[in-house]
Amino acid sequence: MAGTVVLEFPRDYKFLNTVDLVCNEVIQNLCIKHEIANEIAISVIEAVTNAIEHGNHECCDQNVRVLFQCKDDRFCVEVEDCGKGFDYQCFLQNIPDPTNVGHLRGRGIFIMKNMMDSLDFEMVPGHGMKVKLEKKLKPKADGDVQKD
Amino acid sequence: MRIESREKNGVVILDLQGKLMGGPDAETFKNTFHQILEQGRKRVVVNLHGVDWINSTGMGILISGYTTMRRGGGDLRLLHVSDRIQSILYVTKLNLIFKCFDNEDEAVASFLDG
Repeated sequence: MAGTVVLEFPRDYKFLNTVDLVCNEVIQNLCIKHEIANEIAISVIEAVTNAIEHGNHECCDQNVRVLFQCKDDRFCVEVEDCGKGFDYQCFLQNIPDPTNVGHLRGRGIFIMKNMMDSLDFEMVPGHGMKVKLEKKLKPKADGDVQKD
Repeated sequence: MRIESREKNGVVILDLQGKLMGGPDAETFKNTFHQILEQGRKRVVVNLHGVDWINSTGMGILISGYTTMRRGGGDLRLLHVSDRIQSILYVTKLNLIFKCFDNEDEAVASFLDG
């Protein structure tokens, strides 16, 4: 994949499917294993879900921005919202036990952290929170069958 | 998300269609499980064959259904879990909580096995 793909859309659940379609289209051209492609797609959906759920509810006219980019042997995704952010260092040190069925939420960051090679958060002054995801690309091995 | 309900050997089967991702889905699902319990039915199979994908919010909805059924003295099984949903179950270790089946008859029969 050459270049950068950018998506910008209103903070609404109905655009999650569009993000998934574009993400799958982009990673389909990377010739990577199905398992890796799945992990990227799942993590992108988690990051965008967080942006939609936790973006600034008082300015719903603000958009969510998603950027897909290949850098050497890494696939990079950035998801930016207009929210106030959160203490992610604290959250990363105290990620709730995902098997605790008493908690209905809080698994998104756990999933991203475990499925991607790098997960980082950054506050963008005057805008909002930016989530940066990276995955090392391993070429699809011979015999790896593409599944639906 | 569209939910259709049917019954097989005393077990409620919920056929889901679409994406399970939160928003209005959560309320719809919650009401469905409460109605099932109010009708005195306690065994539910959630058929995910028609579910394209799920996110952690959608997983929370399934967990909510599971805990609602368990607290009501019932139980819940998952049917036709795609490998994408399976990946989420494994990474979150929720595969230890949910019993998953690829065959509807086996999912229904599993309630009789205890």
